[in-house]
Amino acid sequence: MIEWSESQLMIRDAVRRFVEAEIAPHVEELEHGDLPPYDILRKMYAAFGMDEMARARFAKQIEAEKSGAMRKLRSDSEGDAEARADQAAASLIPIIELCRYCPGMVTALGVSVGLTASAILSKGTIEQKERWGLDILTLEKIGAWAITEPGSGSDAFGGMRASARREGDEFVLNGSKTFITNGPFADTTVFICKLEENDVDLRDRRILNFVLDRGMPGFEQSAPLRKMGMHSSPTGELFVTDVRVGMDRLLGGEKALGKTGGGREGAKGTFQTERSGVAAMALGIVDRCLELSLKYARERVQFGRPIGEYQLIQDKLARMEVARMNLQNLVFRTIELSARGKTMTFAEASAMKLYAARAAVEVAMEAVQVYGGNGYMSEYVVEQFARDAKVLQIYAGTDEIQIRAIAKDLLRG
Amino acid sequence: MKVMVCLKQVPHQDARLDVNSDGTWIQEDNIKFEINSYDTYAIEEALRLKDAGDAEVVVVSIGPDRVTQALRTALGMGADRAVHVNDAAAQGADALGTAKILAAVAKEEGADVIFTGLMADDDNASAIPPMVAELLDMPSATGVTATEISEASIKVERELEGGALEVVELPKPCLIAIQTGANQVRYASLKGIMQAKKKPVDVKTLADLGVADSAGHAHNKATINKISVPAKGDTAEILEGSTDEIVTQLVGKIKELGLL
Repeated sequence: MIEWSESQLMIRDAVRRFVEAEIAPHVEELEHGDLPPYDILRKMYAAFGMDEMARARFAKQIEAEKSGAMRKLRSDSEGDAEARADQAAASLIPIIELCRYCPGMVTALGVSVGLTASAILSKGTIEQKERWGLDILTLEKIGAWAITEPGSGSDAFGGMRASARREGDEFVLNGSKTFITNGPFADTTVFICKLEENDVDLRDRRILNFVLDRGMPGFEQSAPLRKMGMHSSPTGELFVTDVRVGMDRLLGGEKALGKTGGGREGAKGTFQTERSGVAAMALGIVDRCLELSLKYARERVQFGRPIGEYQLIQDKLARMEVARMNLQNLVFRTIELSARGKTMTFAEASAMKLYAARAAVEVAMEAVQVYGGNGYMSEYVVEQFARDAKVLQIYAGTDEIQIRAIAKDLLRG
Repeated sequence: MKVMVCLKQVPHQDARLDVNSDGTWIQEDNIKFEINSYDTYAIEEALRLKDAGDAEVVVVSIGPDRVTQALRTALGMGADRAVHVNDAAAQGADALGTAKILAAVAKEEGADVIFTGLMADDDNASAIPPMVAELLDMPSATGVTATEISEASIKVERELEGGALEVVELPKPCLIAIQTGANQVRYASLKGIMQAKKKPVDVKTLADLGVADSAGHAHNKATINKISVPAKGDTAEILEGSTDEIVTQLVGKIKELGLL
């Protein structure tokens, strides 16, 4: 893939039109007010038939699982490379376009339909998928994926203290989670914790995933936390105190208790998907920062000339364009891999995420610099991207964790 | 029922327009185009008929290769088929020439209802819809803000000067020129866009439609001699002060000019 196809450009234009008409006028309330992003995201889903597409995909998957024909489903969808490319593009283009105005909305959306629904769809039983998965995939309900704790970030599983104590056929859940995207508003939360096993070291205990509904006794969702950027994505804390649940809320049911691998398997796949989404986010941020910087470089006159005529500004613009081209090529590669039914290696996804996050931060900070004093003011928008971009180096695995993954892979030889 | 929608591709509203080298039209290279905004309401009105019952929606446009994109967008929104009149000889057509081409397509299609936008964003002529209706000897209504279809006719509300509304009933076949804001235009769904490339687009020439004269044109008696950007004046005056002061100054100016 060397360029967007005609239908991909149509998708881009349609989504951009929606973003400019429906989101741009609300950026102020989303970023600096109390407007949660969900209703606008639902409107986007309805406008582009994304809810219907999700419903159709879900029905197909469940039907295939029920008839034990998952392998056939996979080989069928591998058949038409062009359709697969369009589908991959159709999921990445809205990310890019939303990030041109409101990267936080992608975080809120991605955590709900990406992480939370994916966790339920990959780990849950058919009953659990039908009970919780579909509503999250269609955005009828909002999901949160609760892994991070005050004492565990990069060392997510090792340092995790949240626990599930087995009492007969029930579990008693305890623990607190933080930095949970959608935490304050989620209808459905996947709560990740460790099975209490007295004879096993805390670090090595089995990881279990439970589904919690809003309002369950003992389950408290905090108000949104104040943070540096991504204001349109509500982030909160979750407190779980002696929440009693049955086997029906343990993802995978009884089988999850007997699995080998301690419940950590599958996490890499989740991280991989998350990491390729970050490249699309970075592309949206860089694309808009470049567009805004070009506009300002043409219009802003200092010492009698537009600042775009000065080489120091030209250097910044050229570097932004290099980053944009690289990111676009990474997105193209992601689409091309999907079209061919291939997935990126874990190390490659990490390398892509590392580059994308750093490029977005560098470009957004340089956009502020091009705008000078105006860039430091909210009115000129670029400062929002500088604040928003920073989290790309932190969430979905910090830069340092990506470097470790890349280096480990290289040294393995 | 067959519903035909005429659409025009026009320069994007944010496109930077420059006059071309011979001063007769704008420089079209490297600018973005979009569907004329009035026509998007016409497409929506047609698609609503399709949603409500058994209608086939055919979108028609005249122009070079780039027009395919506008037609694909309409197909992505839900239209069933497209007709693309792609013929260099159609480029110089005047309003009557364009109307003749569209009428020929409508005749070939056997359209029961034709929807158009009230006018085009680029030339604001409003000439073509009534001409097409006249050539086809069918009734038409312009400035339409609402439609209600029945078996044999369509009842429409039209906008008149001064905010008045007129209700007219037209027997089918008929032509309806839609006003902006008549409805909420849908976005092309992602699935619709992906399926659009599989929908048929028939490419026609003026000869195919039987509207070419001996020189190969449909009708091109009116020609554009020159277009230009209005010269910038320096007569603007910015009023300054508080709101009350500005209002007082403004009223004074209006009185000074004898307008009050």
